[in-house]
Amino acid sequence: MPGIDECLLEAMRLPGARGAALVDWTSGLALGAVGEFPGGDHEAAAAEAAEVARLTAEQRAFAPDGYDRRDGQDGHGGHDGQGSGGGVADPPVEDLIISNRDSYHVLRFVPTSFDSSVFLHVWLARPDGNLALARIRLGEMAGRLVLG
Amino acid sequence: MTAVRTPPQGTTPPPRLPVREKSAARERGGGLSPMLTRLAAERATGVLERERGSLYLAEGKVVHAESPLAPGLDVLLLAHGTLAPAVWQDAVDRADEEYGVARLLLDAGRVPRGALELCHLEAVFDAAYFALTPSSTPGRFRYGAGHWLGTLRPVPVEAVERETLRRRELLHRLWPDPLTDGAPLRRAETVAAPAPTARQSAVLASVDGVRTASDIARELGRQAFHTLVDVRRLAAAGLLTALFPPPRQHRPPPAAPPLHPGPAAGPAASPVAPDPDPPPGITLPRVNDPDITLLKRLRDALEAL
Repeated sequence: MPGIDECLLEAMRLPGARGAALVDWTSGLALGAVGEFPGGDHEAAAAEAAEVARLTAEQRAFAPDGYDRRDGQDGHGGHDGQGSGGGVADPPVEDLIISNRDSYHVLRFVPTSFDSSVFLHVWLARPDGNLALARIRLGEMAGRLVLG
Repeated sequence: MTAVRTPPQGTTPPPRLPVREKSAARERGGGLSPMLTRLAAERATGVLERERGSLYLAEGKVVHAESPLAPGLDVLLLAHGTLAPAVWQDAVDRADEEYGVARLLLDAGRVPRGALELCHLEAVFDAAYFALTPSSTPGRFRYGAGHWLGTLRPVPVEAVERETLRRRELLHRLWPDPLTDGAPLRRAETVAAPAPTARQSAVLASVDGVRTASDIARELGRQAFHTLVDVRRLAAAGLLTALFPPPRQHRPPPAAPPLHPGPAAGPAASPVAPDPDPPPGITLPRVNDPDITLLKRLRDALEAL
């Protein structure tokens, strides 16, 4: 079963990968990082990426149909009972893609069975980066990271 | 609403005090706990006990942290059924020096490694944030003490200190009043407040005039710092406020009727030992922890200049 580092190293095997990190979007904390990051500071990059991820996750416009209703069911902390195991932290958005002249950033939200707010952030060089592949792989990695 | 760009409440950071700049604190080697810096340098193993929490070190790195103000790893994992309580308890019972709880759970395949690492790291930084708040008593280090959880992913001391400083700044930027961090919270009547997000709504639903942010975090099975962030945002939006002055007893807030038992009878009569209330007619803000903490931080910052 992969840990955080194995997961990030796997992300680094994506074509064109320059850096990969696991980031908490509420606090901006980088829980793990490998490779390089824009500006040379992975903590600063994580904090900035976290802000974008947070805004995206909080906008109702980007949530799928019926998300609010479902969310209302297990968003009740008090009476809690069983969260029926089905993902307490189930972000409304799957991923977020940002492109510029020389690179892509792919942010993949990670659903977890406990309360959290994390995403995988991969920085890809544009000439080699393959967005479709990155999206698929990151989705798989996010699942394996927390589901084993 | 769209044309005029009045800064929404609370999102405009107040002018920064130059003394609070991160660089000043960094030059002093973290600046949060000189003792911690020294322990990291000597690669110490043991537990640093401070007023609001403990940091467990192994060879100078942080392997675990606990604080009464932050829900522990067990709360985070059990609250939403990631682990069954019986499984956790069994691992805790069987843990020894060699096989910590983490290793037992992983070896038995009870929880994926990634999930456990993630949850544990979050819990460590969460508790460390509180453990490293300025305190009025000196910390105490017990050499050699390990933690029954075992080692998962050690974190360098500098990383923990840096993150703690960053978190303080983050909260300060969101809403510069720290009162909501520790006081009981109550909802505020407001007009034209922005709609809270789903996560904030869950926090707001738990606000009842008695619970503090930490209580709410525990109830929701959430990290305490996440709750502090939501609470400060809600405070900035005018949706909740802290009770001030914080009530000393478990009585509901509205100004406790002063019974005036007489100066001699007072303290002995009640086990809760009521504070000497200010004489009627004079309303002085009660001196409480946040103020003292702020003054200490101010003093520390001035000394660092």
